[in-house]
Amino acid sequence: MAEGEDNMAAWLIGVKNLQIQPYKLPPLGPHDVKIQIKAVGICGSDVHHFKTMRCANFIVKKPMVIGHECAGVIAEVGSEVKSLMVGDRVAVEGGIGCLRCNLCKEGRYNLCPDMKFFGSPPNNGCLANQVVHPASLCYKLPENISLEEGAMCEPLSVGVHACRRANITPETNALIMGAGPIGLVTMLAAHAFGAPKVVIVDVDEQRLSIAKDLGANQTILVSTNAEDIDEEVEEIQTAMGAWIDVSFDCVGINKTMSTALKATRPGGKVCLIGLACSEMTIPLTPAAAREVDIIGIFRYRNTWPLCIDLLKTGKINVKPLITHRFGFSQNEIEDAFETSAGGGNAIKVMFNL
Amino acid sequence: MGKGGMSHGAGEGKDGGEVENKAAWLLGINTLQIQPFKLPPLGPHDVRVGMKAVGICGSDVHYLKTLRCADFIVKEPMVIGHECAGIIEEVGSEVKALVPGDRVALEPGISCWRCDLCKEGRYNLCSDMKFFATPPVHGCLANQVVHPADLCFKLPDNVSLEEGAMCEPLSVGVHACRRANIGPETRVLVMGAGPIGLVTMLAARAFGAPKIVVVDVDGYRLSVAKELGADETVKVSTNSQDIPEEVAQIHDAMGTEIDITFDCAGFDKTMSTALRATRSGGRVCLIGMGHSEMTVPLTPSAVREVDVIGVFRYKNTWPLCLEFMSNGKIDVKPLITHRFGFSQREVEEAFETSAHGGTAIKVMFNL
Repeated sequence: MAEGEDNMAAWLIGVKNLQIQPYKLPPLGPHDVKIQIKAVGICGSDVHHFKTMRCANFIVKKPMVIGHECAGVIAEVGSEVKSLMVGDRVAVEGGIGCLRCNLCKEGRYNLCPDMKFFGSPPNNGCLANQVVHPASLCYKLPENISLEEGAMCEPLSVGVHACRRANITPETNALIMGAGPIGLVTMLAAHAFGAPKVVIVDVDEQRLSIAKDLGANQTILVSTNAEDIDEEVEEIQTAMGAWIDVSFDCVGINKTMSTALKATRPGGKVCLIGLACSEMTIPLTPAAAREVDIIGIFRYRNTWPLCIDLLKTGKINVKPLITHRFGFSQNEIEDAFETSAGGGNAIKVMFNL
Repeated sequence: MGKGGMSHGAGEGKDGGEVENKAAWLLGINTLQIQPFKLPPLGPHDVRVGMKAVGICGSDVHYLKTLRCADFIVKEPMVIGHECAGIIEEVGSEVKALVPGDRVALEPGISCWRCDLCKEGRYNLCSDMKFFATPPVHGCLANQVVHPADLCFKLPDNVSLEEGAMCEPLSVGVHACRRANIGPETRVLVMGAGPIGLVTMLAARAFGAPKIVVVDVDGYRLSVAKELGADETVKVSTNSQDIPEEVAQIHDAMGTEIDITFDCAGFDKTMSTALRATRSGGRVCLIGMGHSEMTVPLTPSAVREVDVIGVFRYKNTWPLCLEFMSNGKIDVKPLITHRFGFSQREVEEAFETSAHGGTAIKVMFNL
């Protein structure tokens, strides 16, 4: 951007009201970098903020820049920054932990109560021409990884973090509930971690066929009717042909969680990633009595280097997940959000700036 | 093992003559009868044990009252009881580690030792588990039982037979503390001050937990918990609307974050409280089996990476329990509040006492 040109960003002003307006950046600290943003993906949580001005307990009380999945090119580096230079292509991890509390010091910084996360009120996001960010949260992209793939590191990180917490190995067969973007990245991550067989279920045939194309070993069409659970558990177990060691619920409703708990083998794990409901009614006791543990997932930690490595070596290919592309203009951002909110054959909607 | 019938029993008395083996049979709802219990022949790896101490568990009471427990249904007469210790009377031909006269505590469950779970060491989850007094397998409230020698653990000299019988409930607490990874840095909340809450508290302390808060609806049980070493106790209600206030009280009592919570009751309210009260990145261990379906705030806790750990019985816990008792790290004796002998009337009274709760924690038979 030329000197004197305003930095512009997509501001969430009100319900379903996004406006591209100037975005004044803070001064560059010694450990910060300024990034020219090139690729930004839209997440379900961005859409949720867009539609309701809130997400769980996070409420948008004043205008906020939207977006948190991004990659770009370094435009300026702070005085103490040694690891990055102007011109470097980087993927950006959106959350700044305090790095002082016990959780941060233990390495579980994703749980930091003072986390400042892109596009989570009151923190501004990254759907902008430029942002300022700590250099330590910007990861250099290898030559053979595009900026769009760099932006995909963020959703992929959720899948990677889940696979770590659930301890996916070459011996763990995995069941995935939900073939939306998160279900799909979780499946890709599970295969990359060596899972020998992955069965994925969804209510939508189209999404299941995408999952099949992306490597699902088996897919099963399930219903929204809780009465079908027992029958579906049987179908799922038959499809797996072996015990289900780990289930990932990427939807997070009573039915998917109940199915996961019933389908998982004694001593196995169910990883709850999807955040649909607050209270859930589930057959918890029978599962606990088979020592099926429930593992919680919140975002990710220390995942970018691994994601980049998995992309670089071709163990994971996220490109097919990017189904729609838009530019950075007022009517295109509105279109983009509508497309993403529409679901269907839209998996990842990406902005190119 | 444990299959015996109702005909003339077998077993040698002290003078070498045959003495009929008797057991407490569950014949129907609220119907226990002491009747002969014919033992199977002694296998090469088995021992015959003269029962000396048998404790009553909530699940035994549940079978007495309803003839079922979860999916296990009593369809034919079954000997009750699974918490026991006794004296070896006879050993099978291949048994080297035990001799007649040895005082032993018994681990009730015989797994298949062939399936993947058994081979991984998670034998408590074996689908072919044969467990004392889980139908159709006979229990141990009897003069004698036949049992695999490797599931009989010799008592140290300073551990009594009653304490030996207490290894079984204590094992539930020990197994839970292992699964939950209790250590010198984990501050613990225990929901429920019944027998399981109490043994879990004792185990947590033995594993090094620096601070333990116990909650219950019953003031008397809380006072027992306090005497047994709870750092703080909090009286709670049965009303779900009180949860936020109680979570605040619990946090005050702990003074700092709660790392691990054990739900030893297993109801919506206790589990919901546990999930809310536990710190981000902590664990909730569900031991109690109150209800099958539960309505709980799972997502808000999953989103703080509070994990839910399941617990089913125990595995490989007897040696550690006996070690804790022998070195004094755990004293279970105060938990034994009522004692009865092995007669028809006393068996009935004992179960009534246990079922009634109140001041009864562990009701023990001395045979």
